[in-house]
Amino acid sequence: MPPRHLIIGAGTAGLNCVRTIREEDGGASEITLVAAERPYSRMVLPYYLDRSIAESHVFTATAATLATWKVKTHIGRKAAGLNPQANALTLDDGTTLEYDDCLIATGSRAVKAPVPGADLPGVHSFWTLEQARAVVAGIAPGSHVVMVGAGFIAFTILNSILSLGARLTLVEIAPRILPRMVDDAGAALVETWLKKHGVKILTGATLVRIEEARGKQRLRFKKGPDLLADLLIMATGIKPNLEWLQGSGIRMNHGILVDDHLRASVPNVYAAGDVAEGKDGVTGLPAVHAIEPTAMEHGRVAGANMAGRDVTYRGSLNMNIVEVCRLDVASFGAWDDPNAETFTGLRPERSAYRKLCWSGDRLTGAIIIGQAGDVWTTNDVGMLKGLVQTAVRLGVWKEYLRRNPFDLKPAFIASRATGQLLPQTILGRPSRAPEIPTTVSP
Amino acid sequence: MTGTALRAPTQARPRTETRAVLGGYAGKLLRVNLTTGKIRAEPWTPEEMRLWVGGVGLGAKILYDEVGPRVHWDHPENRLIMATGPLAGLPVWGTGGLTVVTRGALTDGATSTQANGFFGACLKFSGYDAIIIQGQARRWVYLYINDDVVELRDARHLLGKDTWECQDVLSAEHGLTGHQMSVYSIGPAGENLVRFAAIQGDYGHVASKNGCGAVMGKKRLKAVSIVRGTRALDAADPRGVVQAADDIAHDLKTDPSARSLYEWGTLPAVVNLYKMGVLPIKNYTTNVAPAGVEMADWEAPKLRHGFDHRGHQCSACGMHHCHMQVIPRGKHKGELVDEPEYEGWSGAGWQIGLLDKESIAWLNTRIDRASVDVNEFGWVCGWVMEGMEKGYITKAQLGFELRWGDLEGAARLLDMISHRKGFGNLLAEGVKVAAEKLGGAAQEAAIYTLKGASPRGHDHRGRWEEMLDTCTASTGTLESGVPAHVTEVGLPARINPFSGEEVARQVAGILGRRHFEDSLGICSFTTRTRLENVCRALSAATGWLYTVDECVRFGRRTAAILRAFNLRCGIGPETERPSARYGSAPLDGPAKGQAIMDQWEKMLDSWYAGVGYDRKTGRPTPETLRKLGLDWLRKDLWGKKR
Amino acid sequence: MKALRIVPEKCTGCLRCELACSYMQTGAFQPAKSVIRVSPYEGHTSYAPYTCTQCDEGWCMAACPVGAITITAAGAKDVVDDRCVGCKLCTIACPYGTIFYDPDTHKAFKCNLCDGAPACAEACPTAAILYEDVAAADWLADFAVERSARLLAVGGR
Repeated sequence: MPPRHLIIGAGTAGLNCVRTIREEDGGASEITLVAAERPYSRMVLPYYLDRSIAESHVFTATAATLATWKVKTHIGRKAAGLNPQANALTLDDGTTLEYDDCLIATGSRAVKAPVPGADLPGVHSFWTLEQARAVVAGIAPGSHVVMVGAGFIAFTILNSILSLGARLTLVEIAPRILPRMVDDAGAALVETWLKKHGVKILTGATLVRIEEARGKQRLRFKKGPDLLADLLIMATGIKPNLEWLQGSGIRMNHGILVDDHLRASVPNVYAAGDVAEGKDGVTGLPAVHAIEPTAMEHGRVAGANMAGRDVTYRGSLNMNIVEVCRLDVASFGAWDDPNAETFTGLRPERSAYRKLCWSGDRLTGAIIIGQAGDVWTTNDVGMLKGLVQTAVRLGVWKEYLRRNPFDLKPAFIASRATGQLLPQTILGRPSRAPEIPTTVSP
Repeated sequence: MTGTALRAPTQARPRTETRAVLGGYAGKLLRVNLTTGKIRAEPWTPEEMRLWVGGVGLGAKILYDEVGPRVHWDHPENRLIMATGPLAGLPVWGTGGLTVVTRGALTDGATSTQANGFFGACLKFSGYDAIIIQGQARRWVYLYINDDVVELRDARHLLGKDTWECQDVLSAEHGLTGHQMSVYSIGPAGENLVRFAAIQGDYGHVASKNGCGAVMGKKRLKAVSIVRGTRALDAADPRGVVQAADDIAHDLKTDPSARSLYEWGTLPAVVNLYKMGVLPIKNYTTNVAPAGVEMADWEAPKLRHGFDHRGHQCSACGMHHCHMQVIPRGKHKGELVDEPEYEGWSGAGWQIGLLDKESIAWLNTRIDRASVDVNEFGWVCGWVMEGMEKGYITKAQLGFELRWGDLEGAARLLDMISHRKGFGNLLAEGVKVAAEKLGGAAQEAAIYTLKGASPRGHDHRGRWEEMLDTCTASTGTLESGVPAHVTEVGLPARINPFSGEEVARQVAGILGRRHFEDSLGICSFTTRTRLENVCRALSAATGWLYTVDECVRFGRRTAAILRAFNLRCGIGPETERPSARYGSAPLDGPAKGQAIMDQWEKMLDSWYAGVGYDRKTGRPTPETLRKLGLDWLRKDLWGKKR
Repeated sequence: MKALRIVPEKCTGCLRCELACSYMQTGAFQPAKSVIRVSPYEGHTSYAPYTCTQCDEGWCMAACPVGAITITAAGAKDVVDDRCVGCKLCTIACPYGTIFYDPDTHKAFKCNLCDGAPACAEACPTAAILYEDVAAADWLADFAVERSARLLAVGGR
């Protein structure tokens, strides 16, 4: 009997797992996919919001594709309980699915700040396609949009809101924007840039209540005047979908604890993406990296292992990039490690900033901010990632970078990072083009 | 940070970007008023582009229109025009070209002087074809250009720095390296208004003629720095541009007259010109190498040998011409220098009796870094050395002994000139002023033109066409230049170099070609191909059908405007003569006894007839003006009646 | 499979490859849009071009959430413009810094080996860029080490 793989969740982690299994086994196994929604990519919702893509573009694996991949689906169903002893999953409609191995990839959901009025119908989140549709319908040129929370999620839709002709105010409880993505100096630079581009920013603002005001939302603060919003978006954080695993016996901390093969603490169960707490490749410690690249790598490694290969995951790298009003903002690894030795460089006239964090002569984290049109920013974004990922010893170049934090390229090249990177692959083999699984034999 | 942002980027996500209206052009001129701090971009029309092309063509028109006779070189209203042209930034070789047009400090007349590197490419990719600088800053500033962000910034921290240091500091300040930013700046010589101060850029490229660096210094503009822009340059027929570029490259690589230039840059000139008596030795006192000096050691490969040398080409250039090198031995071992051009080997070497290659390489770069014109430095330094040898300049005057070939002494003299210290203050006026001040035998020995312009780094007593050209030119330097393929414009391939009339006909006949080249944003070495190829590149870039006839007519139009400008400034035909030494007959060597002054008047007659200018007044005749499409100039030159 | 081989010692820093590349990429001459980038070593004395190695992992390709990066017949990872939404994930996934984002078109772009006839190699006047039957390799490290000794010794610029 062919092995039965059960994939719970059709986000980035789940679909990469499916794809990888099919790359490895060519269709020999049984795959069952459980998904609460029709599979789509959250990463592209901002571009749906600004109407640069049609809604059809957001879907990742259509019914036809899944059929080609020989995947049985339970779309629109949520996982309700897992019984690892019985190798069985119960769905919210009572259906029970048995498996030989399964992947938990149920992702996370948006959470609103706990203030009175947050549950009013005019208070939006921007996380799911459904929520995106509501926001799309609610923004008109000239309308005043208020986003509560000035973190990465808010920043991913900032350009879209502006390009729709709306006026935008960002409200952040912390004393500065992007508290979990860049440091103080970087945040100050981005804040200046955004203000120059017409974005209003309120930091250190404690929201105490939201009220309905004749079709608008009135935001009341601990201090300072009220804000009146035509549309209010709460971008105040996300939370992994783990509640349904209560009582399953799976060890969890912030997420499901997984080993270097993405295996959970119980047999035949893997976890990937936002729900998994796996090895951080920089620190070596367990961490939840609720980011797209980690979900992708987790999914692929889990899939390869489920297909019978023995693939060890080197650990994930925390990283984020966002472009706002043609300013690139990116950070990698342990950029906020308070114990790290750090070099910084600021070029206010070019709106450029660099922060390099060190452990000895190896780079453990970095922040890079620069104009998106600045030809040299993008080169350096990737090279910083490469230096953190390879942890090559920079030797004498460390001192050079202290003096010239913007001249990364010779350090990258001369430290032979390229030679270390060339043999590196996630699955121990060359990656396949995304079309490959469609060639699965029927 | 002071300054005026031209236009802050306001649109969050612009869907399209502005493209130039005509292929090859960025479409805008940048006008910078240092007095008011106002900066604006002025569009220009396709009709204007065809008429004035760019570079010296565009610059001459602006200079004539905007700089009146009472606006002398040091007047705030003088214009410093840094223009590139329609080929700059395109893949034709050597297309980072810069032409500086201004009323220059040596002649107090028109100036056209070229440099390359990446200036032209960076400017075009930022969206501008030229910069017009006017006014005078209250305190020292530098101009910063990064696409739409154009600002005047405080330059006080750059004062006193030489040109390489200035580029180092600005690059570091902006977090940029190498060709990511083009910087053209003045060193101490420009700051101190040395009358032959140059504008140097991109580590070794110099717009050196007629004291354009002093004009920049007078404006209190320390540097122009351009971040490699992000704009697109369209061509009407991009494949056509590439094909023309390939044909030009093929010509440069295979044509016997251009091939050595392709392989060795200007280095072969040292021996080649020596063989013709054209290498200046010890201030024209001889044309024979000293005993014990083997000219075989001065062949091009020998000049490059031993230096750790690295290609350092200009934008899109495949020539093996410009190089950086590390000095291999001696006191300055390990120092980085720009490989001397021929004129470095002559001006910082043979002309001052200095024949140690490492020393010449070092001194040549010091001269560039101080922003001093290497030719005029040679004429000044050689003149002082001869004067000291012969006793008409004394140790008391100068403050120290300066003998032929004294490297440390020459460097000291450079420093005195650059900072106008002691006797250097007089020398900083140029050799003509200094010689006239001292008079007598000292004046007899000085090499200059009566116009004040510096001759290039040759002994023109063996190359008459360049002496005639230098003396009659309106640009502050050679105006016709070395003819590349003269038969293309109907001239004989070979002439008797010591027949004044034949020489004059040749110089007059080729007039216009150089103005054309210098209007394109390209190097004059990479246009050493058939004009037809250059015209083809221009046509492919712009979509015009540009013929050799049109290019010569355009060039002559530009020459006529510059001449009209100079006449309006009071610079007439009476100044078209060499100094006594410059026009003397060589005492030895291949050109021994050839006395150009015996034929001078006849040469002028012939030249004037050839270019269509009035022999007596120096003015282009009404007939010439009509043929060139310059009827509007007739009133200015000849009054209403004619 | 053919790959770009870089011979850094031959590069003179003329940046002609960038012009040729941008012409292939965009139809205009615009080095800002070139995917081969010439960078300086030892301050401003030495130059070498740098571009995508078409690495086995294809970090950009694997990271793309919409499958917009694929492998061409020439063996290059290439961005399919119609699929790319401009999320920039590929630019942080690539550890070489050789995939770019165009803020004007909102698309990622990278070296696609010009479908097997790289314009940069054709344009290079000194044969510093070759297109040959070789495996991807680190062509620049030895050169960069040699050309940085001086820079590091004199303490930076």
